[in-house]
Amino acid sequence: MEHPSELSVAETRAWERPVVTVPVLVCLSLVGGQLPSFSASANLYTLGTGGALIWLGLGNRVPRRPAPRRLGAGAVWWVLPVAVFGVFEGVTFVLAVGDEFPTFSRLADPLLEDELVRSAAWFAWLAAFWGLVRR
Amino acid sequence: MMRALAIGGFLTALALFAAVEWAARRPGSRIPSLADVCAYVMRYEVGPVPVGRIGLFGFWWWLGWHFLAR
Repeated sequence: MEHPSELSVAETRAWERPVVTVPVLVCLSLVGGQLPSFSASANLYTLGTGGALIWLGLGNRVPRRPAPRRLGAGAVWWVLPVAVFGVFEGVTFVLAVGDEFPTFSRLADPLLEDELVRSAAWFAWLAAFWGLVRR
Repeated sequence: MMRALAIGGFLTALALFAAVEWAARRPGSRIPSLADVCAYVMRYEVGPVPVGRIGLFGFWWWLGWHFLAR
């Protein structure tokens, strides 16, 4: 497997520019936002879009941005938000007392029932996924 | 009371994510952005297998399925 930094390509193909990718992601998100939770269509759509992005990301089909060779000591700051989130998610999950002390998922579920919020969440997920594919 | 604590805790975590990312994007910052941290993790390979890349893609795929499909 070639190293990611060796795969980095400076030139950008037309279909990889934001003017193309953003509308495509918006359309995919609007479709995803219409699919209800626990439905077979939502499962298939999530698996299909995610699978396609992984297929693109694991091959040499999309040029990647150069990755840093090392992280400075400042990277340790990222432990703080991860630890706070991890502690609350862990404790709420282990105690499992439902709405009294809810997990992040349980808090997010009612918000994601709204189609507009669901579409926005779909867009955030797909845009971040595309960002990972390009890295 | 406990519900408010949980909501406050998660909002604090999200605010900390935003604050560290903001600090990372300041000119001359020594803090790497979240994208740089992810890119660094994705460089990890075991032999010919891009373990970091597969792991991060898998995690993100699962996260989307968890929140958007169920």
